[in-house]
Amino acid sequence: MKLYIKNYSSYRSDLEDIDIKQVLKQKYKLDTRRQDDFIHLALYGAQLLKEKTVIHADDELYVTSAYGDVDVVQRTNTYVNKEKQPVKLFDFINLLGNTTSYYVARSLNISGKNIFQISDNFTYINSLISLYASIKNSQKDAILCAIDLVSTPDEVSKRVLGVKEDIEIVSGVNYQKFSLDAKDAIAEVEFDIKTYSLDEVNTMLKKENRTVLSSIRCMKLQCSKESKFFETLASYALNSAMKKNEDMIYIDCFEEKYKILKLKSLK
Amino acid sequence: MNAYINTYELLCNAGDTKSLMEAVYSKESALVIDNSYIEDATAGLGKMDYEDIFSVMDEVTAKVLEASNLENFHKTLLILGSSVGGMQECEQIFYNENSFKNIDPDRYSMNALSDHLMKTFHFYDTRALSTACTSSANALLLAKRLIEVEAYDNVLVMGVDGLCYSTVLGFYALSVLADKKCTPFDTHRNGMNVAEAVAALLVQNVKGSDAIELKGVGASSDAYHMTNPDPEAGGAIASMRDAIADAGLEIEDIDYVNAHGTATIANDKVESLAIEKIFGKNVYVSSTKAITGHTLGAAGAVEAIVSCEVLKHAMIPPQTGLEELENKNINVPIQSIKMNVQNIISNSFAFGGNNTSIVFGV
Repeated sequence: MKLYIKNYSSYRSDLEDIDIKQVLKQKYKLDTRRQDDFIHLALYGAQLLKEKTVIHADDELYVTSAYGDVDVVQRTNTYVNKEKQPVKLFDFINLLGNTTSYYVARSLNISGKNIFQISDNFTYINSLISLYASIKNSQKDAILCAIDLVSTPDEVSKRVLGVKEDIEIVSGVNYQKFSLDAKDAIAEVEFDIKTYSLDEVNTMLKKENRTVLSSIRCMKLQCSKESKFFETLASYALNSAMKKNEDMIYIDCFEEKYKILKLKSLK
Repeated sequence: MNAYINTYELLCNAGDTKSLMEAVYSKESALVIDNSYIEDATAGLGKMDYEDIFSVMDEVTAKVLEASNLENFHKTLLILGSSVGGMQECEQIFYNENSFKNIDPDRYSMNALSDHLMKTFHFYDTRALSTACTSSANALLLAKRLIEVEAYDNVLVMGVDGLCYSTVLGFYALSVLADKKCTPFDTHRNGMNVAEAVAALLVQNVKGSDAIELKGVGASSDAYHMTNPDPEAGGAIASMRDAIADAGLEIEDIDYVNAHGTATIANDKVESLAIEKIFGKNVYVSSTKAITGHTLGAAGAVEAIVSCEVLKHAMIPPQTGLEELENKNINVPIQSIKMNVQNIISNSFAFGGNNTSIVFGV
């Protein structure tokens, strides 16, 4: 399976310390009321993408995340079960996955199909497969938003992700606009549904001269790893390589199975 | 590559597939009036009797596997649609302990349900979709597309949602929760009933002896308003037209619309308008939510099974609870109609204008 990337946008909380809500209000003139930080983060990435590429009304939208908006889940539970209060209307609405998709679609003026896919295993690669299968039929372009927001404190996020206490997890939002058409593309990405064993990956890597990066979930794999973690790191890794016009291989792992993304820069 | 639904099963407030269809055709609502969720108020709900939602999923999944042509699910993709995932158990623990400390992270998040099934049945891979009330309809859509590109031969689509305080109180806060059994398309309807269900459909690239074809899928996002549909019904019309076109059919080929039909003022008004604009009175329409209630993320899968059963029974289901039809320009039967049913379209609509329509046929 192969897709072309028309453009991308990136934000990581550990690399840039900004007040996203203020930027959305002041720079992009967006109404930020009744929305949580998770939605603000998604909207910020969308605005960065909008500045760099043409968005079509019929573009499809995919939003993917490891665990969604943990803060609103905890807040709702606290109101209902601890404080015996009714559910607050906009907490309930923000609890739903497609609320984020709605705000992003609205801010980008798109009316194509939108899907919110959530998982803590191969989150990004599996979303790419879904997106590919869909646009192979529709022949439209698709936007993929990969987003993870660390809850405060980060204990719950780490427990859900199953990562060790001493691992630093960060918030991030990374977008790409994908197409089946190579025209004006800045990179191509290849992937498939196949999962590999550690031996198969190691054999493959022996013949590889591209930059190889892996998730910290790939504990047994000897290659460069990001010291910090968020589940959709693969999306950031692609964007980072495209920024440097580099070719790259990214490897993710879940329960001893490996999946591979191959990026080729076209610039 | 075509996609076929070769076997399926569900459990809901009306029981299994067989019991549900008996209730649908005899117009016996399985909804109950409950006063345990909301202080000083009652609500019509679709409740099941079980230990925990995870064991219900195991039971339904095992039944589908047993009825299938597969020995196991090791080469099958699982796509599970749910609006709240493991919220029910998370709420119960928090309610008892006033703390998140003992919540098992593996049974908490949106994808906790698919992770559980992955560990029990060893699927090749999983996806968890959460687009509120279109979750499992979108899972069916994705299953069809993945089979078309030959990524997978077998996809188990599941729709799962268990009743929890967050959803019941959330819809109550939105003032759309009915205090009695819901009456879709009725002039005097007063809202929806939150409900729960587990439904599973095995979608394959080979046609079994008793197969229903998953002929077409369509989706749109009107992004008109966070909780209200586009009053001109643009999104609903687009998803239905896309699904019919994807199936390679004409509008007149559709025999029955299994409507989203939640019985909220907004949904039924706009969905009726969409059906009127596309079909006029030339197609039968009814909503089985008058029997099951609105099973939220499971609704798409539940109503896909109802659609498959309607094709097999060759009998259009009547509208339970209807006394006075609001939109007289659509054709809502109050008695079952025996006829040769070739193609059915099933609608699922969700907050944020997330619309999905699916065409099933023989």
